[in-house]
Amino acid sequence: MNNSLLWQVRAFVYKHFAETTYAPSIEDTGRHVNIKLEEAGTLYKELHKRHVFFLEPETLTIRMANPFSGIPTDFRVHANGKTYFANCAWDMLGIPIALKSDAVIEAVCTESNDTVQLEIKNGQITINPSNNVTLSDCEGSLPPKSETLRSQQPLPQSDMLLVHFPLPFARWYDDLLFT
Amino acid sequence: MLLFRSEEWIERWCKRNHLARGEVLSVAQVWELSKLWYHDHLAVDYHGRTVAQAEEIFKRAGLTSAFWYI
Repeated sequence: MNNSLLWQVRAFVYKHFAETTYAPSIEDTGRHVNIKLEEAGTLYKELHKRHVFFLEPETLTIRMANPFSGIPTDFRVHANGKTYFANCAWDMLGIPIALKSDAVIEAVCTESNDTVQLEIKNGQITINPSNNVTLSDCEGSLPPKSETLRSQQPLPQSDMLLVHFPLPFARWYDDLLFT
Repeated sequence: MLLFRSEEWIERWCKRNHLARGEVLSVAQVWELSKLWYHDHLAVDYHGRTVAQAEEIFKRAGLTSAFWYI
């Protein structure tokens, strides 16, 4: 196994997510790193095995490169004029950190189905108290302003809104989709 | 890791799915954890981290219960 190529593939996958919001195909990766598809596939599988990113079962399609998700989710992150999808409530906060960017996050609360908006600005996190928020740095990728929150209840502050970690760290990789 | 607006909703979700309650952090706490965990993920020289390195991050984030350690 060529470790240099392995990490080149990893770096390309993450750069691709950051620049486009989605995963590169195995063909894109092979072309970029200048390797044959078979070798690219071997490197993808090795990176999957090392928990660097995660493939859809029995495929070479990247499902997760944390914090980025390869498929739409309930955790949308608007940053740098683009809309990214995060894998979970932790990863939705990881995207602006990884991008080193301000962001507006739209997330659905489990069970109650409330949609909440969080704003990341200058390293500070706040929960937007209403729908009428001016978001000049992300206007290109924001949802329509007429879109309303589903709950009429006052939104909790960021020290009250909660993230549930269902499994202990020792079991996170048993079933990553559930985690 | 799912987002909830209160402990009550977490209890309902756990009960409905027949699951034990795990650990619960505020969004503010997860924000601080994210800074430690994800700040270097786009660096070209990021090569993953070991269990010990991950546990060190949890410790620095103030997460000290057995839940966070192998």
